[in-house]
Amino acid sequence: MELYNKTATELAKMLRQKQCSAAELATSVFDRIEATEGRVGAYITLQKEAAFKKAAEVDAKLAAGEILSPLAGIPVAIKDNICTKGVETTCASKILRGFVPPYDAAVIERLKADDYILTGKVNLDEFAMGGSCENSALQKTANPHDLSRVPGGSSGGSAAAVAAGEAILALGSDTGGSIRQPSAFCGLIGLKPTYGSVSRYGVVAFASSLDQIGPIGRSVEDVAMLYSAIAGKDNRDATSVELKQKDFTNGINDGIKGLRIGVPKEYFGDGVDECVKTAVYSALEELKKEGAVIKDISLASTDYAISAYYVISSAEASSNLARFDGVKYGYRAKNYENLTDMYERTRSEGFGTEVKRRIMLGTFVLSSGYYDAYYKRAKRLQQRIMGEFDTAFNDCDVIITPTTPTGSYKIGERVDNILQMYAGDMCTVTVNIAGLPALSIPCGKDKNGMPIGMQLIGQKFAEPVLFKTARFYEKLHGGLFDAPKL
Amino acid sequence: MKIDIMHIAKLARLKITEDEAAKFEGQMQDIIGMVETMPELTSDYTDVDSSRPMELRQDIIMPSVKREELLACAPAVQAGCVVVPNTLE
Repeated sequence: MELYNKTATELAKMLRQKQCSAAELATSVFDRIEATEGRVGAYITLQKEAAFKKAAEVDAKLAAGEILSPLAGIPVAIKDNICTKGVETTCASKILRGFVPPYDAAVIERLKADDYILTGKVNLDEFAMGGSCENSALQKTANPHDLSRVPGGSSGGSAAAVAAGEAILALGSDTGGSIRQPSAFCGLIGLKPTYGSVSRYGVVAFASSLDQIGPIGRSVEDVAMLYSAIAGKDNRDATSVELKQKDFTNGINDGIKGLRIGVPKEYFGDGVDECVKTAVYSALEELKKEGAVIKDISLASTDYAISAYYVISSAEASSNLARFDGVKYGYRAKNYENLTDMYERTRSEGFGTEVKRRIMLGTFVLSSGYYDAYYKRAKRLQQRIMGEFDTAFNDCDVIITPTTPTGSYKIGERVDNILQMYAGDMCTVTVNIAGLPALSIPCGKDKNGMPIGMQLIGQKFAEPVLFKTARFYEKLHGGLFDAPKL
Repeated sequence: MKIDIMHIAKLARLKITEDEAAKFEGQMQDIIGMVETMPELTSDYTDVDSSRPMELRQDIIMPSVKREELLACAPAVQAGCVVVPNTLE
């Protein structure tokens, strides 16, 4: 097997046993990028020169017998809404084209301390608003399993890069499903961590009460490894907390004997494809045979979650995106009459349609006379959804649902149907609304041969339970990554 | 429900054309139609969750990004300041 298709865990071992060097690994990944990127379109910015320089440094450290992090020398792609010092960070928006951050996001500082290798910055729906990467103002990204289909979104570039062999691991961000959905569409494992477990310092804010940064990879251990590297308290994100566990690869092989799995009927309704339901049910059957206890549960407010999500996230986005005014950084309109005109022209020329739509929706629900009717109503519903999860977790340790109602669809197929596009988030948004951790893992293929994702939801800070459950299922199948033929 | 898109756009500091306004209005009506299905709950709601107080960091001086590095990001700079159009006649 080519180096670019291996897991980070295997490669970390190989680097230490001198079976390959960091330079050889970087060569394998960048050769692969050269061969496939023209068809995949995952990267907005590549960092080849810096990557090889870093690889040489890692090789020198290994040769000198230094004890390094398991991430040392591992090529990682970073979603282009995470600030990287000296490397353009666009959010796939015209308004930030050319913006070179003067600082690193907290997660990047941590990865640098671990000697990771940045392959480049990858595509997303503009400002992470969307589920297909079609809202990127800069380029389209294709699903490596079928180039005529979307990779999902908003972290579509992250997932496409890892699936295609153009990176070993990737970071994404997840506000309503943006890590889990593209991981499901591209046959990968993706974690949306508990709200507060990873610092968002340096991620361009979309909806601050929902945003989280998380890992995407090809194996559960890889994802646990990258999560270990980025999790923990950072004073610059007041929501972040100290975690007791530091290495989340510990305990992932503990097994699932007696594990209580809740299955909420609301996630298996009419909007979900039959083949998706069948795949998830059959995975549940397998886990039951291996000693898990399956319990039917109800999360009654699920049907309203998308509404609450779009109200809350758009309200916060309208406020967060007010900072893009053409004054301090990013794009400024060329012609304007006065300050207000400059703001308006800059924003109108700089933002794409979906971003404008969400800013206006947010402005509307927060405007005089509508705040109580929409925003407050959504916040009350959020509390009810949290309460329903709390009650459910009295009877179970993990909740399993489909990650998405369907597999990946054709590029262009849904762009004109906004509500259908938004409905694609039906299984994922509740997790952000309740601040819980959730992991998507592959559990079969749909009628088009595209990967299907199964979502494991845990209580706050119960990432270890998700990892050991996913790892057990992965072992049953002898691995879950099925490299696409590109 | 009638949504005054031009007014909303003005509040959001966006300039949109009449054609765009018509399209956005239809889409916003669809979205609001969906949102209207949310149940009316009467539970107590407060913006601040008192069970999870936010821990604020100490107000102490520490190194930060340099002024010139920040100014290098601005579209127009003069004499160490960001340039904007006149705000006073």
